[in-house]
Amino acid sequence: MLILAIDSATPVAGVALLNEEKLIKEEFSNYKKTHSETLMLMVDRVLKECECTVGQMDAFAVTTGPGSFTGLRIGLAAVKGLSMATGKPVVAVSTLDTLAHNLCGSNALICPLLDARKQEVYCGFYDVTGTFPRALSENLACSPAEFTTQARDIAAKHNKDRIILLGDGYYPYVEFFQAELGNSLQIPAPHLMLPRAAALGSLGLEKARKGEFEDIFKLRPVYIRLSEAEYRLGRGEL
Amino acid sequence: MKDILILGIETSCDETAAAVVKNGREILSNIINSQINIHSQFGGVVPEVASRKHIENIAVVVDAAFREAGLTYSDIDAVAVTNRPGLIGALLVGLSFAKSFAYALQRPLLAVNHLEGHIYANCLDHSDIELPAICLVVSGGHTSLLYMSSIGEYELIGQTRDDAAGEAFDKVARFLGLGYPGGPAIQKAAEKGKSGKVVLPRVYLDRNDFEFSFSGLKTASMNEWNKLKRKGMADVNDLAAEFQAALVEVLVEKTIQAAAKHKVRSVLMAGGVAANQELRNLMKNRGQELGLAVYYPSLSLCTDNAAMIAGNAYISYIRGDFAPLNVNAYPGLLSL
Ligand SMILES: [Zn+2]
Repeated sequence: MLILAIDSATPVAGVALLNEEKLIKEEFSNYKKTHSETLMLMVDRVLKECECTVGQMDAFAVTTGPGSFTGLRIGLAAVKGLSMATGKPVVAVSTLDTLAHNLCGSNALICPLLDARKQEVYCGFYDVTGTFPRALSENLACSPAEFTTQARDIAAKHNKDRIILLGDGYYPYVEFFQAELGNSLQIPAPHLMLPRAAALGSLGLEKARKGEFEDIFKLRPVYIRLSEAEYRLGRGEL
Repeated sequence: MKDILILGIETSCDETAAAVVKNGREILSNIINSQINIHSQFGGVVPEVASRKHIENIAVVVDAAFREAGLTYSDIDAVAVTNRPGLIGALLVGLSFAKSFAYALQRPLLAVNHLEGHIYANCLDHSDIELPAICLVVSGGHTSLLYMSSIGEYELIGQTRDDAAGEAFDKVARFLGLGYPGGPAIQKAAEKGKSGKVVLPRVYLDRNDFEFSFSGLKTASMNEWNKLKRKGMADVNDLAAEFQAALVEVLVEKTIQAAAKHKVRSVLMAGGVAANQELRNLMKNRGQELGLAVYYPSLSLCTDNAAMIAGNAYISYIRGDFAPLNVNAYPGLLSL
């Protein structure tokens, strides 16, 4: 089984090609250019270098959120186009599951965080002692303070003495997290900090094996948040 | 020569649209998923909401365009998509889909300027347009006069300094409580009223150039409306009629002047506001008086659609002017 994984949920763009047992090629970019310019070139390079075509893929994997609204839509639109043209199915994976999978095997509480702006983070809480990450709560958007409170509670409940934070939501609040979580806080090495298309691909393979495919005519990003206008309309401010 | 079938995709504002056009002329399908009902509750297009709808609808709309044309995906020769100008997040949905769809089908990608698409809508309805021409592009986002030497060759000769004409329609309609979108709402009210009962300014700016300004007319309409209400003489239909007359007169006279100055014999109108009946009538009448041929697209091709994108892209296809995989979307007018 060949799977092509495409991630553009955050400032990182990533593309990986995997087969059942191994990662064949991965491209990762965390440098300036917009996904709209880089993503399809990355797809093309990965496939060409591995002497395959999109038509040979058995499935496409994509991070459906949370993340940058525009980034998520670029990835989803790309995967919808590939899937529709080739007739090959799509598997959808949470951006936070993908991040948590970077640390697969750790017995710490794994907390992937994405910068959600407006003084908030998108976050999740995971146990990764098994082969695949197990979410201990729903993915949510909250303030850094709400996050640390929850992280401490969940860590206590699951007997985890270490809390690992990763993802781009860590950087804007480094000092706050260090102050709040003290000695229990651990930060992974740089190559494990950000979403990796390879990790997306391995989670995607598992979903593909189980036949958990999406209907591309219905598939949409998981934004977690409403748009500002919908939020204000809901509060009767419009 | 073999027939060339082009899939067009358009997501620059609040319509998710796809169409298949044969040889830049014959529309085989033209699917438009309008979000107007969603945006009307916000009183105008909300960019983030529009982008969210586009990503939900894009595959459905493209698939429907193939079904209506009775074609399978691999029957097409190229994929065309609007990449400027428009709402950036909205454009990126269509562009990203078009890129990967074309890539997977191994077909060339064609990037189309939305305004050129609007102008090309005239060529879908009329095959005998004499060029050069003066084009008036009027919509919710644009009010521009262009000199068109041939299809694909445009020179911008004037545009609005503030609101676009369609924007002025929307804002005044909202203020008058006529609803959204403003163009059709004001036209409907104006039919029941009479212009000239209240007097609003015709804002020409410099008579010798082709710049527009509508914010003054908008403010004058609002002031006049408040004054009439205080006097208990407010008739919304009369005010709508006068507002429409004032706006249309300036559009028509500037266009006619531009045609005279550039010595052309054809005038083309394009964009959502070109669906306005008063504008169509006055332009046609003034054109007739002066021996100008006046063209406008059929009503369904005035508003945003993908047939105009697929049609316009045929010109690039013939020239071999294909877009690379890293082509980006741009919110503004680069050049035209
Ligand atoms: Zn338009």
